[in-house]
Amino acid sequence: MEPDRVTMEAIGRWSGIALPNEAARIGLADNAALIAELEALRGGMGFEEEPSGFEAALRDCKEPGQ
Amino acid sequence: MNAPVAAADLASLSMTEAADAFAAGEVTATALTEACLARIAAHDGVVNSVIRLDRDAALEAAAAADAARAAGRPLGRLAGVPMMHKDMYYRAGKVSSCGSHIRRDYKPAATATVLERLDAAGAIDMGTLNMAEFAQNPTGHNRHFGDCHNPWNPAYCTGGSSSGSGAGVAARFFYAALGSDTGGSIRLPATLCGVTGLKATQTRVSRAGVMPLSFSCDNVGPLVRTARDAARFLGVTAGHDPRDPTSAREAVPDYEAALTGDIRGMRIAVCENWFLEGADAPVVAAFEAALQALRTRGAVVTRIAAPSLRAIAAYTALVSRVEGAAIHANWMREHPDDYAIHLSARIYGGYAFPGHLYVEALSRRGPLLRQFVAEALTGHDLVATPTLRTRVPTLAETDIDADPSNWSRFMAVSANTRPFNYLGLPTVSVPCGFDDRGLPVGLQLAGRPFGEATVLRAADAFQQETGWHRKAPAL
Repeated sequence: MEPDRVTMEAIGRWSGIALPNEAARIGLADNAALIAELEALRGGMGFEEEPSGFEAALRDCKEPGQ
Repeated sequence: MNAPVAAADLASLSMTEAADAFAAGEVTATALTEACLARIAAHDGVVNSVIRLDRDAALEAAAAADAARAAGRPLGRLAGVPMMHKDMYYRAGKVSSCGSHIRRDYKPAATATVLERLDAAGAIDMGTLNMAEFAQNPTGHNRHFGDCHNPWNPAYCTGGSSSGSGAGVAARFFYAALGSDTGGSIRLPATLCGVTGLKATQTRVSRAGVMPLSFSCDNVGPLVRTARDAARFLGVTAGHDPRDPTSAREAVPDYEAALTGDIRGMRIAVCENWFLEGADAPVVAAFEAALQALRTRGAVVTRIAAPSLRAIAAYTALVSRVEGAAIHANWMREHPDDYAIHLSARIYGGYAFPGHLYVEALSRRGPLLRQFVAEALTGHDLVATPTLRTRVPTLAETDIDADPSNWSRFMAVSANTRPFNYLGLPTVSVPCGFDDRGLPVGLQLAGRPFGEATVLRAADAFQQETGWHRKAPAL
């Protein structure tokens, strides 16, 4: 089974959604670029263990004196 | 009453000029509305920016505004100013199509908070605008309502997803329009159509009553002609909303008061990585000229590197694609053929992303914001980039429905805008010139969280220096 079919079958089983058209096959294949980006980040990135709310970071990063 | 403004010039006023002229008794709301309606009647056959025009209701609202002013009643900050909005801002009892076939008859029960605030400020709502289907493309294609066309040249993209908002403001059909921005959907049509677009800090403006695309990255904001317009619009619409518990409780400053024109000593960073990678020469030339204009006003421009951008870009794509897939799952199961090809194709890929990476992307969001601020905004007030790396593409060369091989060109449009949605930073796009085909180029300025006043001060000073924002397409 080609990898593309494996992914499409997994989408079908997990989400009940079938390939809607041929362009979607190109869209799915385009995920490879993002996978490559994430592969390049492995080791340097990961789950953040410490409490790290995004809204708190927004407040903390305001302009000095604001 | 002061001297009346000539009717032929009315549609060319900025939003604040129109509001101030009305408040000063120099023009009636009826005259402003009629000027806009005349422009739409004359030119929207080419542009295709309007989905629903509420002509009679707009004229009635304008007459009411005129009567209120004549009676000496208090006027809101946007009193008498005609606007139209992207067709995803809900108004109770009115159809909100979201640019789709699936929601062609959808009538929400409640009105969006942002519309209520504009109503309270006296703005006149003339109807709804064309947009990308479910706000899901950066180009302006729409299979159901027809593609929106760039007023500078109808063969070219308007940018999306707020296509009608950008095209209509550029075409002088109205003075302001709401867009929404999940990956650039305000800033891109602002750039491609040669107008000003503001995405405020994530959580700055209520999203209650607004169609969601990505819960983490959606933003509400205006497309207008000037930074001063954006400042007034934001002042009216920002602030905590009990109907949107994610909206910030930060105080709303007087944004217009910050527009002093003085940016002497302002420190502006240019990230040498990411934003200029593969940029077209005419875009780089316009961007460098824009930096020189900022230097002329006294800003200090520094070249830096921001290594975190590669991770930020990857996580941005992951978050928005997964959340978009989640929102559309039921319709993708039950009505897949009701979507345009390019949209269902794009949504489909989002179902393949592993859940653990989505959780990782959200968990890293705060730390990456802190890292980017340390890299780019510590010692600097703003980051400057071209809003779009490439020249404006044509509708044909980004049409996936007609030719799926256009996929990569279609997806590349939002490369420079998406990172600021994951980071949640306030970002404005202003016109900064034209490419070699006569299409607009945009300058993007980003600041620290809740630093909209600084972002707008720089944008306003730039507009005082250059005047690109006053250029209008010859329809």
